[in-house]
Amino acid sequence: MCFKNLPIEFDSQGNATLKQGVANPYTYTETPAPTPIEDDPERMRELFARNGAIRRVDFDPVTRVAGALAFHTVVDLDSREVLETASMATLFRGYEVILQGRDPRDAINISSRACGVCGGVHATTSALACEMAFGISPPPMGVVARNLLLSTEYLYDHPIHLSLLAGPDFSEEAVRETNPEIWTRAENTRTQGREVHGYEFMSELMTDLTPLTGKLYLEGLYYTRLAREAYVLIGGKYPHPHTVVPGGVSTTIDPSDLNEIMLRVVKYFDYGRKTVAIWNDIAEFFYDVNPKYKDIGTRPKNMVEPGQWDDPFAYDASYENCDDWGRRRWATPGVLVDGELVTTSLQMVNAGVEEFVEHAFYEEWTGNGSGNEYYKFPTDPAGNPLSPYHPWNKETIPKPTATSWKEKYSWSTAPRWDRMAMETGAYSRIWTAAMTPNYRQSNYIEPTGHSLKIHLPKASLPNTEIEWKIPEVWGAFERNRARAYCILYTAAIAYDNLLLAYDLLRKGGPDAKMSTPFKVPKDHRIGVGLWSAGRGYLTHHMEIDKGVIKNYQILTPSTWMASPKDPFGNPGPYEEAVMATPLLENYEKPEDFKGIDVLRAIRSFDPCMPCTTHIHSDDRTITREIISCACGATGDHEH
Amino acid sequence: MRVLVCGVGYRFLRDGALGPYMSDTLSARATERVEVEDLGYHPVGFTQNLQERPDYDRIVFVAAVDRGRAPGTIKAYRYDHCLPSSKEVQERVGDSVTGSISLDNLLIVSEAFKALPDDVWVVEVEPADETWGEGFSPIVEAKLPEITETIWNLTKP
Repeated sequence: MCFKNLPIEFDSQGNATLKQGVANPYTYTETPAPTPIEDDPERMRELFARNGAIRRVDFDPVTRVAGALAFHTVVDLDSREVLETASMATLFRGYEVILQGRDPRDAINISSRACGVCGGVHATTSALACEMAFGISPPPMGVVARNLLLSTEYLYDHPIHLSLLAGPDFSEEAVRETNPEIWTRAENTRTQGREVHGYEFMSELMTDLTPLTGKLYLEGLYYTRLAREAYVLIGGKYPHPHTVVPGGVSTTIDPSDLNEIMLRVVKYFDYGRKTVAIWNDIAEFFYDVNPKYKDIGTRPKNMVEPGQWDDPFAYDASYENCDDWGRRRWATPGVLVDGELVTTSLQMVNAGVEEFVEHAFYEEWTGNGSGNEYYKFPTDPAGNPLSPYHPWNKETIPKPTATSWKEKYSWSTAPRWDRMAMETGAYSRIWTAAMTPNYRQSNYIEPTGHSLKIHLPKASLPNTEIEWKIPEVWGAFERNRARAYCILYTAAIAYDNLLLAYDLLRKGGPDAKMSTPFKVPKDHRIGVGLWSAGRGYLTHHMEIDKGVIKNYQILTPSTWMASPKDPFGNPGPYEEAVMATPLLENYEKPEDFKGIDVLRAIRSFDPCMPCTTHIHSDDRTITREIISCACGATGDHEH
Repeated sequence: MRVLVCGVGYRFLRDGALGPYMSDTLSARATERVEVEDLGYHPVGFTQNLQERPDYDRIVFVAAVDRGRAPGTIKAYRYDHCLPSSKEVQERVGDSVTGSISLDNLLIVSEAFKALPDDVWVVEVEPADETWGEGFSPIVEAKLPEITETIWNLTKP
């Protein structure tokens, strides 16, 4: 029984049904959001009477994240607490609207544009949705090729985050500016991983995390390049691949391509070990300085993971069999509640999802907000109950209004699983796999129930075993640490798939074909792509009729995590994590406050607010990003 | 004299897609001396590519950029290689690796990593319409021949 809050029960055969005798089962009563401090003069007076250190601090935009995120806080600089938070996705991603009425194959190319980092995974997720709707699946080599694309995309994503986005928060520059006493200590603290990463003292490591000039920063840039080079050998172009199609991949692969990819992937074995050693040292050093650093960005261990990297001999694209092929993935599907794995069923992962818009700039689509009106899909194709707030039943109806922390304040919806806020990411991937019983056969990955062992082949460094242990505490440092391990996890899976690809090529025959022919069906169908970006959970729910898209819903990792409050009064994961964050920064005057701990908490989630493209229709003004520096635009010729 | 002509921008954004359109159009005129590239990818990738190629003598960038001028305005200028603060450069690198494609990001990032030759020219066109879709606004459509010739003239020694 994986649901505590949804009206779903299971019979003796484990089949999910709606709870009997419950009228209007998905109805809920909205819990009003707390009144913002600024709107509550009595509370303001009370707080100011206690001390004069209450401040509104807004991070707008939050820099060093992908896309447009703003974050509102009210902090008490005296007690070093965060009193109020609100996470705002400040731009509208209108792909759901753009895709209506188009050929379903267009979704692969158009939805890819939703993100400049994860374009390839959007394309693949869209292809998976098409395959389910069309009733086709790729030959094994097509699946393996897709797995390699995914691996190299993650090998691009993780170094970006660790070196270029989160890393600078732990650099000499940042630490000297916000906690000079920690810098002094770093100068006198020997590292634990010096034999692997080569840094004798923490201060040396922090210096090399310095943006633009630090060796680790520049090395991270280099590794983003290597991954892209490997990606384009199959994808043709990055981040928007040309070769992802329903039924596989529209290119050929020969041993020379595989060699080129292999040469690059093996470099991540050494780089990953170094990165793990660095992030182990960072976490342990800060915990040693002050154990309260474990509370930066902490929140319940609630995570949702659709899984990815399909088994080429198990994946058949059908919803009916998705529990079976889902469990055969290298990253297994699952949901963690308070750190316990409550399901590994991909159907239950999907059936538990709802999206709410009480605090988002959208109109509620069920008509009266109660969810009791007729809705299209009361069950999924396997007969499991679905909520009217499920993505297959959702409509995107943008409705911008003035921002109000109590009412509406974000373009992100509030996705919930079993009506709980969930986070997702590289860490949910490795965590779920670590706990999954009967994990697939792999030469390099070994879950133990409490850890995940990665058996690394020899590269420049000798072969070895690296073990990620499920952390007892959960917060910003552990997110970053787990992401570092995921470089190795990803590289090992890529290696597994490369060996499979060589074997398929050697054997030849139908299994070595790259794609399956298909025709776009003209009747009414639905499909879903259940996959993940580097940053976590990604699904595309598609409904087609008469050969065109009738409804399309994209649910991204940052929609889960940047979400505003839900109708049950629960904050989104960023909001919750920052509320729990102690302000450990060293400031004498309120004006000196930089908010480094808040930013470390937010950035640890690897936010990605896919938003580059924009639309504008009738009275719905949709903002967009304008970079207006005119440096050098002094004009020699004007026409 | 080796010249690289680069169209910067996104496809499917009407006037905002001018850069990729120009790359497609001018590819037909490319020669051994004048290369044409679609810069619909991020500036860090471009910088890394430039660092591995033989030096160009001149690079010409073309993009639609909204700077509040009259729509259809064509502005060609020589890039002065000035950089903003290192904090802003750092933010631009972050924007770049997370997928933001813009002329300013491109100039700043590739200049910061010393990938550009001394001789860099920019052709900017003020867009009238950057909403989702294909095709240009009438005002930019009417300027296409002039834009094309402005760019091509800048490839001459």
